[in-house]
Amino acid sequence: MSVTHLPNTHYAGLLATATTSKIEAEADWLTSLRERAAAEFNVAGFPSPRDEEWRYTNISAIEKSQFSLSEKTAEVDQALLDEALLEGCYHLVFVDGYYQPKHSSLAGLADAVTVLPLSEVFTGSKEQQDLFKSLLDSVIEEHAQGFINFNTALFSDGALVCISENTVVDKPIQLAFISSQDGALKLSNCRNLIYAMASSKATVFETYTGVADSCYLTNVVTEVVVEPNANLTHSRLQAESLKAYHIGGVYTRLENNAIFQQNNYTFGAVLSRAEIHANLSEASDCTLDGLYIGCDHQHMDNHTRVHHNQPHAVSNEFYKGVMDDKARGVFQGRIVVAEDAQKTDATMNNRNLLLSERAEIDTKPQLEIYADDVKCAHGVTVGQLDDTAIFYLRSRGADEQMAENMLTFAFANEMVERISFKPLRFKVLDELLKRFPQAGMKKEWL
Amino acid sequence: MSASNENIKDMIGQQYKDGFVTDVESDSFAPGLNEDVIRALSAIKKEPEFLLEWRLEAYRHWLTMEHPEWAFVEFPKIDFQEISYYSAPKSMADGPQSLDEVDPKLIDTYNKLGIPLEEQMRLAGVAVDAVFDSVSVATTFKEKLYEAGVIFCSFSEAVKEHPELIKQYLGTVVSQYDNFYAALNAAVFSDGSFVYIPKGVRCPMELSTYFRINAANTGQFERTLIVAEEGSHVSYLEGCTAPMRDENQLHAAVVELVILKDAEIKYSTVQNWYPGDENGLGGIYNFVTKRAECRGDNAKVSWTQVETGSAITWKYPSVILRGDHSVGEFYSVALTNNYQQADTGTKMIHLGKNTSSTIISKGISAGHGQNTYRGLVKIGRKAENARNFTQCDSLLMGDQCGAHTFPYIETKQPSATIEHEASTSKISEDQLFYCMQRGISAEDAVSMIVNGFCKEVFKELPMEFAVEAQALLGISLEGSVG
Repeated sequence: MSVTHLPNTHYAGLLATATTSKIEAEADWLTSLRERAAAEFNVAGFPSPRDEEWRYTNISAIEKSQFSLSEKTAEVDQALLDEALLEGCYHLVFVDGYYQPKHSSLAGLADAVTVLPLSEVFTGSKEQQDLFKSLLDSVIEEHAQGFINFNTALFSDGALVCISENTVVDKPIQLAFISSQDGALKLSNCRNLIYAMASSKATVFETYTGVADSCYLTNVVTEVVVEPNANLTHSRLQAESLKAYHIGGVYTRLENNAIFQQNNYTFGAVLSRAEIHANLSEASDCTLDGLYIGCDHQHMDNHTRVHHNQPHAVSNEFYKGVMDDKARGVFQGRIVVAEDAQKTDATMNNRNLLLSERAEIDTKPQLEIYADDVKCAHGVTVGQLDDTAIFYLRSRGADEQMAENMLTFAFANEMVERISFKPLRFKVLDELLKRFPQAGMKKEWL
Repeated sequence: MSASNENIKDMIGQQYKDGFVTDVESDSFAPGLNEDVIRALSAIKKEPEFLLEWRLEAYRHWLTMEHPEWAFVEFPKIDFQEISYYSAPKSMADGPQSLDEVDPKLIDTYNKLGIPLEEQMRLAGVAVDAVFDSVSVATTFKEKLYEAGVIFCSFSEAVKEHPELIKQYLGTVVSQYDNFYAALNAAVFSDGSFVYIPKGVRCPMELSTYFRINAANTGQFERTLIVAEEGSHVSYLEGCTAPMRDENQLHAAVVELVILKDAEIKYSTVQNWYPGDENGLGGIYNFVTKRAECRGDNAKVSWTQVETGSAITWKYPSVILRGDHSVGEFYSVALTNNYQQADTGTKMIHLGKNTSSTIISKGISAGHGQNTYRGLVKIGRKAENARNFTQCDSLLMGDQCGAHTFPYIETKQPSATIEHEASTSKISEDQLFYCMQRGISAEDAVSMIVNGFCKEVFKELPMEFAVEAQALLGISLEGSVG
């Protein structure tokens, strides 16, 4: 059900006047695509809570804050960079939505792999331009969604990652997005396109960080295509400033026998929403893992959709959340099994820990099944820490706070331990430990 | 497998067994809805002024409301001016005092359905308030109940005899502004049942109402109100069948249950209205608002439903758990065959401390049926130690049907514990093979497996209902063994 929601005049104005965000030497087809998206945005605007898919997330704060487009900055705080970049990866760094060549490093990358900022596509080769054109806007189904249109109309940069057939990328590729501006109410739009060609294998990370306590908006859309027999791991770590807003989406198309693993870690932002969509073809395998840890007034919305279009595909979803203080966690998962998708095996699990009287969890795991020979299950729990376990720890000398921290940490750590790439695992662990202010929690223990 | 497919087709193609129309003259209003219709309806029923006002308020509010579109069902737009809002069997005017005086054709109808009133009075010990179209025709065992202090009568009778109780409780659980169909019902409800169980009384028998929709093009707007005073207990049964008919009939009922301290209501429904033919033509639209409110501590309410009929079933029996330690239960079997659609489930709203709720929902889809479970579990800030367990299982028979699960879980209390599980499966060929290898026909085997699938719900039904429900499931799926 679509709900008419008049677009905010400020953002409609941004679309009308924005010229600075356009990519250098932009082709006409892109300009017309942007115009179409802007026109659609002008009709529908941002989604409102009256929209069923947004019933638990109210983005009126974004409308009120009137963010303006960020501009290209030359300098970035080195400490911020050091913190953001993971060891042992190829790096592509974007600051405030613009590519920063001097901080990026792709040295040693095989020729069969293309990693290119979108801002350089139109000055690049014909093949690259064709690739870009064929991928852009090719995976998303819900074009009418306000933030996607907003992104299409305004994206200033982003990454184009293409792995050729039968290629294995030796190191993960990190796309680091950093917001460097303090107190300027800026917004950045990036678009990423990831294309794993037949029988290739790669790992791509997206990390989002910003200057502590600054207020900004990140609106990012990632489109992923995984071709037959390819294997792609995609992780996104959202550790924005605690006052920032983050709207992100990963839209994936899996072809026959493709394997896709998506990990989604949410720690930052006062209001965040992650859309993870996957369209599955025959015998493809999709794993979606997630962890969201909220405190203070944070609002974290995770929205997954797995669409089984063809037979024999397998999907596994596992999301865990911990909500403390006045935080609010939302999980809306949806599995759709189309009529022809016989022998589908789909599971969805959502486990939540509610630690405070003022926190809230809203969860909505949905199954929509149109085929008869399928195995589908979902499970949800919302609960608190086990009293006997706390008692056990206290009887061994841990104080109450420490006992609670240990158990909460153990609950969340299950997701962290699944990360096989060490630098990322430690990075996620660091973020997790930040949520346990009590000194008793030491990394050395782990 | 092809042999059992044939069977499935046979089974699915089964005719509606209770399809017949009793030819009784009906005293009906011309189709249409406006304030005059409501005034006329109220006048015919000799209602007090407050009730007419209440109806008019509801109607005026209804006019401002939009038809809800969110449910997972599809049907052509209903023209509310095409519906006649009152129809009473003609012989009602003379007011039958005993069964002998009841129109013999009505008695015949019940007999065809296998519900001989006399039999039930004597043998089953069940008091039957039979609603034929819109007016209660026969009420039995009244005296026995009267001795216990239990009031069990038609709604219009209650309005005349106990206006103070109606005034006190009507619309307090489902207000006349609640939703589109509840508002419509409040404006035009024709009759229904009223039950009042006084303090500390355990109702001496199970109360039962059989509803039938009979006159063509007559929307039925039943209203049921049950009040269980402190420490009382009642088990209420509601069962329905309807004649075969080509036009869609709207049924928008409202059921309100008020449960006070330490009281318990068990409300069971077997619904087998005409589901439409194998092409999805005709059938009843069953849009019902059912809600119970546990007002006092330790109150308990249990909804059990077996939904096999209706072209469209759209209802969510709900429980508001306001009193501390109150308990809500929901057990449901919903079956959709041919082009039937069901969007059903429950809402458990936990407000009091230590409240608990259990939801067991079994959905079976066959043919082109679309079966949706939609449920809300909401834990308020003050509902310390609230507990919920939900299990939704779906069984798919045939590759044209759909089974959907839309649970909503909203928690604001850290000490609450909520568990939700859902699974979807089909009858496995191994199970079928095992049964058939032992000489059980494919049809019987499917029936057996489906009944096993629903056992958790059936065991909650009162005994005589459980038997009926199993038979009903068998009939609805006959030849439809998957």
